Amino acid sequence: MPLLELTDLHKTFRHGANAVPAVRGVTLSVERGETLGLVGESGCGKTTLGRMVVGLQEPTSGSIRFDGQSVEGGFAEAGRRRRVQMVFQHPAQSLNPRMRVEQMLAEPLRLLADLAPDRINGKIDEVLRLVGLGPEYARRRSRQLSGGQQQRVAIARALICDPDLVVLDEPTSSLDQSVRGRIVALLRDIQRERDVAFVFISHDLSTVQRIAHRVAVMYLGRVVELADTETVFRSARHPYTKALLSAVPKMDPRLKRERIILPGETPNPSELPIGCSFQDRCPLVHDRCRREAPQLLPTAGAHLVECFAVATEVSHA
Amino acid sequence: MGEGEIVGLVGESGSGKTIASLAIMGLLPAAIELRDGSVRVEARELVDPTTGRVERRAQEMAMIFQQPRSALNPTMRVGNQISRVLVLNQGLGRGEAMEEAMAMLGHVGISGARRVARAYPHQLSGGMCQRVMIAMALACRPRVLIADEATTALDVTVQAQIFDLIRDLVAETRCGVVVITHDLAAVSEMCDSMAVLYGGQVMEVGTTVDVLENPSHPYTRFLLDSIEREVDPRVEERGVNFALAGCRFGHRCPHAYEACAAFPPMIPVGRGHTASCFLLQDESSHAVARTD
Amino acid sequence: MSTQVPDTDPLVDAAATEGWIPPEIDGIVHRKSLIRRKPMAVVGAVILLVYVLVAVLGPLFVGDPLTTDPSNALQPPSGDNLFGTDKFGRDVFARAVHAARLDLSIGVVIAIASMVIGSLIGVIAGYWGSWLDEVIMRLTDVILAFPGFVLALILVAVMGNSIPNVVIAVAAAYIPYFIRLTRAEALGQREMEYVDGARLAGNRPWRVAFRHVLPNSLRPSLVQATLVAGWAILTVAGLAFLGVGIRPPTPEWGVMVAEGTPDIITGQWWTALFPGGLIVLAAAAFHFIGDEFGGEPL
Repeated sequence: MPLLELTDLHKTFRHGANAVPAVRGVTLSVERGETLGLVGESGCGKTTLGRMVVGLQEPTSGSIRFDGQSVEGGFAEAGRRRRVQMVFQHPAQSLNPRMRVEQMLAEPLRLLADLAPDRINGKIDEVLRLVGLGPEYARRRSRQLSGGQQQRVAIARALICDPDLVVLDEPTSSLDQSVRGRIVALLRDIQRERDVAFVFISHDLSTVQRIAHRVAVMYLGRVVELADTETVFRSARHPYTKALLSAVPKMDPRLKRERIILPGETPNPSELPIGCSFQDRCPLVHDRCRREAPQLLPTAGAHLVECFAVATEVSHA
Repeated sequence: MGEGEIVGLVGESGSGKTIASLAIMGLLPAAIELRDGSVRVEARELVDPTTGRVERRAQEMAMIFQQPRSALNPTMRVGNQISRVLVLNQGLGRGEAMEEAMAMLGHVGISGARRVARAYPHQLSGGMCQRVMIAMALACRPRVLIADEATTALDVTVQAQIFDLIRDLVAETRCGVVVITHDLAAVSEMCDSMAVLYGGQVMEVGTTVDVLENPSHPYTRFLLDSIEREVDPRVEERGVNFALAGCRFGHRCPHAYEACAAFPPMIPVGRGHTASCFLLQDESSHAVARTD
Repeated sequence: MSTQVPDTDPLVDAAATEGWIPPEIDGIVHRKSLIRRKPMAVVGAVILLVYVLVAVLGPLFVGDPLTTDPSNALQPPSGDNLFGTDKFGRDVFARAVHAARLDLSIGVVIAIASMVIGSLIGVIAGYWGSWLDEVIMRLTDVILAFPGFVLALILVAVMGNSIPNVVIAVAAAYIPYFIRLTRAEALGQREMEYVDGARLAGNRPWRVAFRHVLPNSLRPSLVQATLVAGWAILTVAGLAFLGVGIRPPTPEWGVMVAEGTPDIITGQWWTALFPGGLIVLAAAAFHFIGDEFGGEPL
């Protein structure tokens, strides 16, 4: 039984008369101790999806099952909140500037876990050590920490109640390159030690490649490709995934590759065309894509792709 | 920097890359003083020796910024913004300038230039705003274009479009481009040569191939390692420490030793490839000793 | 020549244990002293300090503010009576010094009371939003439609003439300002990631609002409070001048100005000028502090 199961999840934001669909029918699962990478460009709905998983946002429709239990009415219940946590994108913003590190770390212990008060300090020291900070950091405030240290504290806060699942929303994008590598290494160590599952949301494909076991590529609120990391990076099938991978700059100055340059930009989600949402930028577009929307279907094994062109190819083979 | 060359300026936050470019453009805040140094475009010295101010002409240098939307005036139609640049700097008439602005917009790959020229910045996407910025920067046909994190705020597929555009424009106009970024991979794709900055000091200079394939400065090696694999745990995560004398990287460098308390000179490690580190001095003398 | 590079370098080890120390790097102090950065705030603080000293200790050194001496009425300032005497022969200086205690405490109490109540309501409006916000905002609009002074006047008239009622009335008139300021700040803070973080840490909505959002939304209100303390002194004195609230013979600056005004026509300027000047100076001192800290970190 998977740890987390999302079935046909939808989220539509309403701005007056305008309905903006952010997530349009996502079905995913995350296994215990696994890292699922969620990649896509701005506006693809990856952050909204993550916020629904932790219960900061209510889905418009669809179901979220955690550990086999249906999650109705979000994660307000302390027992569930303790098991699903989140780390945010901007470390400077995600820590309360008026609180000391120890106060921030003590809060979830007091409010979520029934921990004896005399054990709280020990637990704080333990989790600080886990994220690679000495006990002297407990007295600091957020502005007395560097960006990487702030993110470590945020990770410590998410981990302090020993959750089963942590949603990491762009945890490294606002950090310098050198710090980024350390945070990724830290997360991998923590996963090994604690057997916690991660949903790693990022637009930075190279970081996702280093941490994720499986990758889901999102475009305009839908998962268009889902497979294990190696498959996605080595033999992506969806034309959007291919373009995305080819657009990422590579660290090889001698390499002069042919890039796939997509025309145009992500369309406005409130004015989606009928059929496949990628049709206007797709190099493989044909008539059928303008009439009906493709489904996420298996090509080989657990490799799922949402594209008519790929599906036809597979059925021919 | 030569004609039609693309140079990368790389460093982490606080390494002084933006300040360096602002200094070149003469846009430094009044509080910061340009101590000394010179900026030359086609042999014309831009730094006024008496005032220390940079006297710049639009035909010589232009700049594009990190946040394209906020770099454009939100209350003016973009066509007017571009044509104003031409009116002010080239002395063109209004109609003429508008025609030229349309041509520039077409040039940077905007289809329907007439429609876009009538739009306000908030009606355009980020990628479109960056194209408009580039059109404006190139309007006076500068010899040097400075791009300060010009694609950082954009999505990767759009970033790829802008990279392509800049490369095409360079091939066409033969202007030089300084790409300022923290993204080594972008430099690897875009640039012919590069300089690595740390704490306001140049750590290593060379062609992109040389620096990336044969990184000679510990800081460059550290930066590259941080992308590819686990980094040296001895390189502590610390801010840039400006109070330190000598090598700016000294307090984080795993190889730091006594000599690093002094300012290391630029030591040649190859043709047009230099790095600022005492270790290289020793190594080169070692190498000489070994070849004997 | 070869210099051995040590594997473990003392420099590096020191760096590793020290951690990062912003923003005053390695003992180099980059901040200028307070007097250079905010000269007017220092001036204001010094003036207020003098006021507080006078209010606390002054009454021990001056005579009784209520003792009348008709034979010594309306004497100009002299060595015996620094500020002269009024028409009942009372020492204006003694009365002014005694009044400092009352006026300052009224100003501070009003500022604190209206700030506490206003920001509590404001954070509720800003954090919960929707209909509650709508209701609270429309109510403040109604209150703000009256000039504060007039509102206080009406409230005192309704509640009755006493010092506590004056304090309540004036504080009530200033509450809407704090509601609006805190609400605006809370609206911005609500979108910050630490608020989501607090929710995930198990905080109930009221705890998120009061323990996390409120402390981070107080800065504009703290600045406003110093300004309100000054205004409150002016308002209370103004009400007293009109005969509302504090009554003669209580030594209070507004009352003294009211009593002394008729004397100006007959040439005895000192009975109204000195207390009037003290009101202005106190209000100004609060303003200096508030203005200087308006936009910058405290």
